[in-house]
Amino acid sequence: MGIIMILFTLIGGITLSAQSAINGSFSRRAGTIETTFLTFITGSMLLALIILFFGQGNIFAIFDAPLWQLSAVFLGVIFLLFNVFAVTKIGVIATSITVIIGQLVISVVIDHFGWFNSLIIPLDTKRWFALLFMLIALYFIFKGNKRSVVEAKQQK
Amino acid sequence: MRFIAYIFALLAGMALSFEGAIYGELGKNIGKLETSFYNFIVGAIILGLLWLFFGKGNLSYAVKAPKWSLLGGVLGVVYLTAIVISIPFVGVGITMVAVILGQLIMSMVIEHFGWLGTNKVKINREKVLAVILMMIALILVN
Repeated sequence: MGIIMILFTLIGGITLSAQSAINGSFSRRAGTIETTFLTFITGSMLLALIILFFGQGNIFAIFDAPLWQLSAVFLGVIFLLFNVFAVTKIGVIATSITVIIGQLVISVVIDHFGWFNSLIIPLDTKRWFALLFMLIALYFIFKGNKRSVVEAKQQK
Repeated sequence: MRFIAYIFALLAGMALSFEGAIYGELGKNIGKLETSFYNFIVGAIILGLLWLFFGKGNLSYAVKAPKWSLLGGVLGVVYLTAIVISIPFVGVGITMVAVILGQLIMSMVIEHFGWLGTNKVKINREKVLAVILMMIALILVN
């Protein structure tokens, strides 16, 4: 069962990258805001159907939920908007890796302080090294991408 | 200009982590699928307003565009659902590793072959090295 779940999640990661690529090419013709808008609209339509058939929670509890929990939607908007913008400028892989680094850094910080009722996992030596490796990875992506662009120009 | 795009991508990742942590709490209140539904619906409203006031592009291109290029929203839902379903079975740590691995490998392949309308960018030494470094970082974090 576990293996199937891991494969399933792997597909989740694959779809996230495919989404970046697809939104990037759509936005070149339609614009950043327009692409993000369309993504949210089609996503809501699909989820409306899924909830009708499989929803077990209570969507109306939204009116009793604390405001700080509801404010996460602005973060969701920022993620997609910035993602679409970045893909058209620096490409899929550079965007993906940079997003992942931002994600991991904040996860480590959230764990360290135990924000949002999460487990407190302190920032130990191992995690400091992880942050260091990510920083070096970001540097190489930046450099590698610059080289690819230069080579592409020379071929033309 | 390219430098700004990196900062934006970094901010996007940070937003994604905060979002995940906060939505985890909301999910306990109203249900997981309902939480993603809330995210997409209210997100569409915010973007609708942004589009009305600041949209300079061409939304009607959606009608003419090749159909595969409209699948961004559907893929976003697949991603969210995959995560929501798998975390109770294998835990957050392994889930994140699997997602990130899928992301890294897929984005390399997509760009290398120029799939899905991306500019064809060959994989080079630096990129492979960056992915290896990311894998080491992932093992260290968990």
